[in-house]
Amino acid sequence: MTINSLYIFDRHCICVYYQDWHRTRRPKPAAEGGLLPGVSQAVSPGTSAGPSSGFDSPRNTLASSSGTVVAINEHTNPQLSIPMAPTGVTSTGLAFDEEAKLVYGVVLSLRNMIKKISGRDEQFTSYRTSSYKLHLFETPSGYKFVMLTDQKSEMMRSVLKQIYLVGFLEFVVRNPLIKMDSREQGIDNDNFRSAVDRYVRGLPNYN
Amino acid sequence: MAIFGLWIINKAGGLVYQRNFAEGLAQLTSNENLVLAGTLHGIHAITARLSPMGPSSGAQVIEGETFKMTIFLTATGTKFVLLTSLNETIAEILLQRIYEAYADAVMKNPFHTPEMPIRSDGFDTRVTAIIGTG
Repeated sequence: MTINSLYIFDRHCICVYYQDWHRTRRPKPAAEGGLLPGVSQAVSPGTSAGPSSGFDSPRNTLASSSGTVVAINEHTNPQLSIPMAPTGVTSTGLAFDEEAKLVYGVVLSLRNMIKKISGRDEQFTSYRTSSYKLHLFETPSGYKFVMLTDQKSEMMRSVLKQIYLVGFLEFVVRNPLIKMDSREQGIDNDNFRSAVDRYVRGLPNYN
Repeated sequence: MAIFGLWIINKAGGLVYQRNFAEGLAQLTSNENLVLAGTLHGIHAITARLSPMGPSSGAQVIEGETFKMTIFLTATGTKFVLLTSLNETIAEILLQRIYEAYADAVMKNPFHTPEMPIRSDGFDTRVTAIIGTG
């Protein structure tokens, strides 16, 4: 039982957040301009060029010495950053932005297909292949939470809903420094990332 | 426990056989079914590329809230799709048996053109028997 990755898409089909845990096949960093700033440090374009490159949001005016920093994405917390495992890691051959588009495309197509076949307003919940399982949870506001786990995992919709209720509402929706629906900025911030990380690592099937 | 329908999709993504069994899902026109089968064919190819851990097959089971689609891909690229309720546990076994019937009643039929729509009373009867006893 393993949890591999979490994508959050907004209602404009844009990937606004990404996080992963022990993935052995990794995407290449996103192409320049292919991904919004503030989605994920690990897959942003030019991640090797230094942590501050590509991030010039108004949030940068917050200095960490001026009190509590609520949302800042220049520095990744050391225990939160995902180190590239030196061995056994292969590439998917896809840039992250391409991969995110494929994930969104699959989710959207399946969602429409399930609605069409059922003839009702029925939600697509998951699919599985021989090596992984994809789960979808969609909020009424059109945010789509997509999680990839190993194929034996049971329903993860409750988990995704919990991430929405606890992490997302608290650290994204109620965070005045996050521009939601902006189409130019992701929703990444340290509090949300660590809340998700803590919650996922505490799950019985995290492994 | 309900079996709603069966699709057979050829290796080019065309729907060559479609049958409804139990009621419960929308009644779609043959054109709508063709479009959905083509979409499924494309999605199936993409899902194999999204694996986070090692190589992967395409989607095998796709679940909604009240029904699921079990997909069986043969070595030659033909896809057998069974639409059933969520608690149907023998969908894979049924697909295996439908594949056997397909090999016997369709592939061995000298009047059948490969990759073309299946019009065979023998196959229809065999499928009815499998689903009926399933």
